[in-house]
Amino acid sequence: MSTANLLPLGVAIPLLGAVVLVLVGRRLPRVVSDFLVTFWAAAEVADLMLLWMRTGDGHAVSWLGGWRLQHGESVGIVLVNDRIGIGLALLTAVLVLAVVAYSWRYFEEPPAGHAGTFPALILLFEAGMCGFALTGDLFNAFVFFELMGAVAYALTGFRIEDPRPLQGALAFGVINSLAAYCSLLGIGLLYARTGELGFAQIGQKLTGHRTDALLVTAFVLVLIGPLVKGAVAPFHFWLPDAHAVAPTPVCMLLSGAMVELGVYGAARIYWIVFSGPHGIPHHVFRDTFVVAGVITAVVGAVMCWQQRNLKRMLAFSTVSHVGLFLVGVALLTPEGTAGTALYVAGHAGAKAALFGVTGTLLDRYGSVDEHSLYGRGRELPFAGVLFVLGGLALAGLPPFGTALGKALAEHSAQSHAAWLPAVFVLASAATGAAVLRAGVRVFAGAGRRPRENHEVPETTGSGEEPEIRDPSRRVPLPMLAVPALLLCGSLALGLLPGIGRQLAQAAGLFTDRAGYVGAVYGYAHASAKPPAADWTAEGIALGLASAALAVVFAAAALWGAPRDAQSVVRPLRRLHSGHMGDYVSWLVVGIAVLLVAVRAQL
Amino acid sequence: MSRVLRVRLFWAAAAVFAVAFAAACTGLPRFGTLSHPYGARAIAAAFHQRTANTVSSVNFDQRAFDTLGEESILFAAVLGGLVLLRRARDERLGGVRRGRVLPATRLFGSVLLPITLLTGVYIVAHGQLSPGGGFQGGVILATGLHLAYVAADYGVLKAIRPLAVFDVADAVGAGAFVGLGLVGLAVGAAYLQNVLPLGTFGQLSSGGLVPVINAAVGLEVGSGVVVLLAGFLDQAVEINSPDEQDNRTGR
Repeated sequence: MSTANLLPLGVAIPLLGAVVLVLVGRRLPRVVSDFLVTFWAAAEVADLMLLWMRTGDGHAVSWLGGWRLQHGESVGIVLVNDRIGIGLALLTAVLVLAVVAYSWRYFEEPPAGHAGTFPALILLFEAGMCGFALTGDLFNAFVFFELMGAVAYALTGFRIEDPRPLQGALAFGVINSLAAYCSLLGIGLLYARTGELGFAQIGQKLTGHRTDALLVTAFVLVLIGPLVKGAVAPFHFWLPDAHAVAPTPVCMLLSGAMVELGVYGAARIYWIVFSGPHGIPHHVFRDTFVVAGVITAVVGAVMCWQQRNLKRMLAFSTVSHVGLFLVGVALLTPEGTAGTALYVAGHAGAKAALFGVTGTLLDRYGSVDEHSLYGRGRELPFAGVLFVLGGLALAGLPPFGTALGKALAEHSAQSHAAWLPAVFVLASAATGAAVLRAGVRVFAGAGRRPRENHEVPETTGSGEEPEIRDPSRRVPLPMLAVPALLLCGSLALGLLPGIGRQLAQAAGLFTDRAGYVGAVYGYAHASAKPPAADWTAEGIALGLASAALAVVFAAAALWGAPRDAQSVVRPLRRLHSGHMGDYVSWLVVGIAVLLVAVRAQL
Repeated sequence: MSRVLRVRLFWAAAAVFAVAFAAACTGLPRFGTLSHPYGARAIAAAFHQRTANTVSSVNFDQRAFDTLGEESILFAAVLGGLVLLRRARDERLGGVRRGRVLPATRLFGSVLLPITLLTGVYIVAHGQLSPGGGFQGGVILATGLHLAYVAADYGVLKAIRPLAVFDVADAVGAGAFVGLGLVGLAVGAAYLQNVLPLGTFGQLSSGGLVPVINAAVGLEVGSGVVVLLAGFLDQAVEINSPDEQDNRTGR
């Protein structure tokens, strides 16, 4: 199998797996169908692992249908990628494998008569995410964007007995579909001007035009889809509503991979399509999206700290981290990109593990409410250790991969603005602290018993339906083993020096537009020197500082004097109203602000 | 946010959007020019592949991978529909009341049902030659079947619509598209490459892989729409929510 063919197989394998599961799933006992889905998930990991190794420090290119360039033009679709996109696809595949293993004993009652449906949807989700990560074509990216959306809406609303999942799925679906229309409008503008749909081809044709109103509008509109998927403020409102109600294995995928794909898409599209001569200048993208990232990080962190519903808390922590990822890639430096890539991978392990442990709580107690679970987790000490470790990994404790990635991104951010590393430290500390606070309360019963405060309407997370039916049984082994392995993965990313260097090399390619275009058009291009991706004393110190801050924050919340900060944050909480009309208004406001901001900086 | 604030915020932002989009449209190529960069290439490529319908050539040959994605979206939507529309634990199956149908409607439906199905098959089969193809034909096939519901009643529709079969057909159609792509890899060409004999331009058998993929898509779309509609119809016709049960028992 040639390297080029591994790219389309990365989409074909999970699609075929989904078909097989739908066909035979209902006729087979549960064990066999679990084995089948694990097999397909493992095959996808193997395919992408091979692709990762074969691609090395270059690009993998595949012209689908054999429609290669003739006289510099093609009618077909090209899949092209470096180790950043392939790495994201691989990360997705590994997470899917973890989720599949986690779900072995999960969902005792799949839809009657359609036993293979849930795993089939998971595999379709995987196909959408991997296709989005691997493609080098704007319209093709849109198609896979829609595929992952369509599956994600259904998976979010999976538990139909409860109205909340359906509401969450509806908000998710409506906001993301509106964003997809915006992207499609933008793609239409670009296609009308250039007659091309490939990233590289559009980018090349655009260099012959001026930076005018069409380009600015197309730029903003195309990016809206990925930015909404990536939950960048003020497009983030759907995310906590969906994450709080989706089945736990689905949350692991949404938070660990799908949201990050939004940031990846925005960065890739900017670099290849818009960053060329007569495009959108670097300083415009950098200034706009560093600010957007900082706002997202702060809003996410503040809201995360305020939550008592554990899943909502983790969802807002994802919002906060996505803000940091956006800052990292928006710096437009190889170092920032390399750091973000590592940070994303480390975060995926930690966040998926945290969701996994939360799933065991939901499984056992039918609640994800920090207050009503106070002390009840004492009988699950191992889960408690995992939860606290996950919190520390989120806060960026060395040597977790999150810390190394954060250190690299901070170092790069520092040269842009001296105060930016402080945002990284504070946001990661606050989200880590919220998790630590909840973990210590639930699993150790430490600190004061939380007071009930009925003045503020809150999403408590109690009274949830347990996702399985038999709370008296022991916690199934995979439900703790998988989070433990995911945390080990996050740790390995920080400890094994090879992965960091490979990602740094890939980040050099990612930020080299000429190299990407050269790979598509088939001419050689000298690649730039990769940035360093090793631990530094400064990075370790900042990592330790944010972990220490997280511990201090958590301890203050548990044992310190109760403080009422509601007057400061209440307006912010009010904005997260759950009202779809509000979310749509914010979506349009965000678009308008971006249009004005980009135009004003030209 | 209060209602007034929300609406005002929306319209203010929408006005900015409208201005920007209108300004962008002034930069588009003029209407009716002779320059169609992609169109010219696509027509040349379709001619080379002996596919008379260029749109089909783009959809099922030149950019078939996009269509694979689109078709997977439909497949996913059907599965998602099954999940969301399944009978919840507190919902009960009620009896289906027989509806009264005018004789004229019954006659009309009985005559048109086979004609519609035939039209659907025609549209699927001639996708490489004339406007149409698997997507359009599949939808016609599915709607044709539902004439039975209009002309008779739900019981008759259920009798001619074995859902288990359509479930399988839906998956087989989706799988066939993915599998047909692998044919290219098997003979050493690219994924989804049109490696079948291309035939004679304008003949039913022309276009190589295009009519085969069209058939797969027709099967998938037709069965998928039937399954999806069945989910909705069951909810509307057969399944009673707890409230309705309460109403019926007079509580």
